[in-house]
Amino acid sequence: MRIVIAEDLLLLRDGLVRMLTDTGHTVVAAVSTAPELEAAVAAHRPDLSIVDVRMPPGFRDEGLRAALAIRAREPKTPILILSQYVERAYAAELIADGNGAVGYLLKDRVTALDEFLDALERVAAGGTAMDPEVVRQLFARNNTDHGINALTPREREVLGLVAQGFSNSAICAELVLASPSVEKHIGNILNKLDLPPSDDTHRRVRAVLAYLNG
Amino acid sequence: MLRRAGLALAHLLTSLVLGPVTFVWALVTTLVSGLLSFTWLAPPAFLAATWVTRRIARLERWRAALVLRRPVETPYEPASGRNPWTRGRLLVRDPATWRDLAWLLLLVPVAVAGFAGVVAGVVDVAAVVAPLWLWAVPNPYLPPLVDWLFNTTGGRFVLTALGLVLAPVAWWVVTTAARLQARAAAALLEPGPRQRLARRARELAVTRRRVVDAQAAELQRIERDLHDGAQARIVAAGMTLALADRKMRTTGEPARDDVRTARRQLDDALAELRRLVRGIHPPILTDRGLVEALAALAGDAPLPVEVQAADLGELPAAVESAAYFVTAEALANVVKHAEARTCAITLARTPDVLSLEVHDDGRGGADGAGSGLDGLRRRVEALDGTLSVTSPAGGPTRILAELPCAS
Repeated sequence: MRIVIAEDLLLLRDGLVRMLTDTGHTVVAAVSTAPELEAAVAAHRPDLSIVDVRMPPGFRDEGLRAALAIRAREPKTPILILSQYVERAYAAELIADGNGAVGYLLKDRVTALDEFLDALERVAAGGTAMDPEVVRQLFARNNTDHGINALTPREREVLGLVAQGFSNSAICAELVLASPSVEKHIGNILNKLDLPPSDDTHRRVRAVLAYLNG
Repeated sequence: MLRRAGLALAHLLTSLVLGPVTFVWALVTTLVSGLLSFTWLAPPAFLAATWVTRRIARLERWRAALVLRRPVETPYEPASGRNPWTRGRLLVRDPATWRDLAWLLLLVPVAVAGFAGVVAGVVDVAAVVAPLWLWAVPNPYLPPLVDWLFNTTGGRFVLTALGLVLAPVAWWVVTTAARLQARAAAALLEPGPRQRLARRARELAVTRRRVVDAQAAELQRIERDLHDGAQARIVAAGMTLALADRKMRTTGEPARDDVRTARRQLDDALAELRRLVRGIHPPILTDRGLVEALAALAGDAPLPVEVQAADLGELPAAVESAAYFVTAEALANVVKHAEARTCAITLARTPDVLSLEVHDDGRGGADGAGSGLDGLRRRVEALDGTLSVTSPAGGPTRILAELPCAS
């Protein structure tokens, strides 16, 4: 995969470059500011961009905003946001366009190398990868007036895994369920969230969005 | 003694002159303002009258201050506003406006009462210098004893003696009368107790806001330090270990270099954390107390620093930590800018105040409003203390922090 990295801390930038190179990927550009990121994506059209939320000059959410700007111009540009903290609101903003091909992970996930590489593949292929921490933050919240509440605990669990980007077969494995029952759960979720029928990936992303906005 | 008596006498005499003037002024302006109050001239007339009244009140404050030998504070609330109506309304609402007027009216009776002091003083002085002037005003119609006193040379010297004997009494009468007058003036012309409290509350609100701001900035700094420092290093170590793990799985070889790198990254992360903790609350302060902590700071400095401290007793933690950081910042400034050869830290404590002085023999010219010192000032003011910096060009520089620490 051809990858662009945007990360302002040299230590982590070098670490990521080394890690991706060692696992057979090509880092076509490693930059440290948001404008450089936008330029690099425009120039290289990478298969995936890995972007830190906080970058110069303001050290706020420049990376996230650059990612949103890139995707506003060129929807479906695969971007994985990598950050030292996760915010549900950021995740919702990222996924709001319903186009998929986004991910939002804690930097800690990098150390689980194989899962991290899976997540990269998923996002590059147009899926999603939401950090379990985002999902946990959602469960910690007590929302009362939302379609999400119509879901059974099991359905929520399934939706949480969908949000993280698990495929149906991965969910089967995770929850030790048979494939038909997972499909039934997902069908119920999509109906309960009142999502119009369209292609499957799109509906899944919409479900995750509804979930994140919960 | 004589100077004070002279001053008191002058005060009583000027009161007598000023009293009628201020009385007439107060009466006239009140009447005129009242008459004009229904016309559009009211605001400008009132503003002008108040302007003059305040000038007179300032003179009165100055006179009172001379006798009381302390400054007499000005009580006015700030009255700013573009149009005369709003300014006028602010002035009307300011109690000081009416207290000024009250004093201008009261000065007449007060001055008259003070006349007793004038009489006492003048008579006594006249008696003491009797031989010098009584011969010039012979008075044949006096009772025998008085006649002897007034009209013979011997008698006049007896008068001098009497005057000298009674001088302390006269002195007391004059100074007391003047002091009472000045106290009455100060009571009306200074801020009242309510106003003082209001001012204090305003001051506290300002310092509290600064503290809250400073604290928020501090928390942000800590968050950023963690984010860019220890946290990043730990993530990097994790990455290195993940790669090592993968290498070992695929090649079966131990990845010692990677493990070593990860260990170094973790060591660095720990060092970062230690540095951060020192900046939040230095552990030695908890373990050994302020004096030892300052001695440690002094020991770390690249120039000889002497620490002088008596037994300070128990100090509140906030005071200790403020004193520590003031010293740390001051020493850092000395090292960076002062080109000093030696530096001295002096700590002293009264029951209520801890004073800390950092003194160097460098080239001076420190900017008391510089950002580092400003942060410290906020920290000190948060504890109701004061921080002063004197640093003339050419040195020496002296930083004095006074921290209240009533226990």
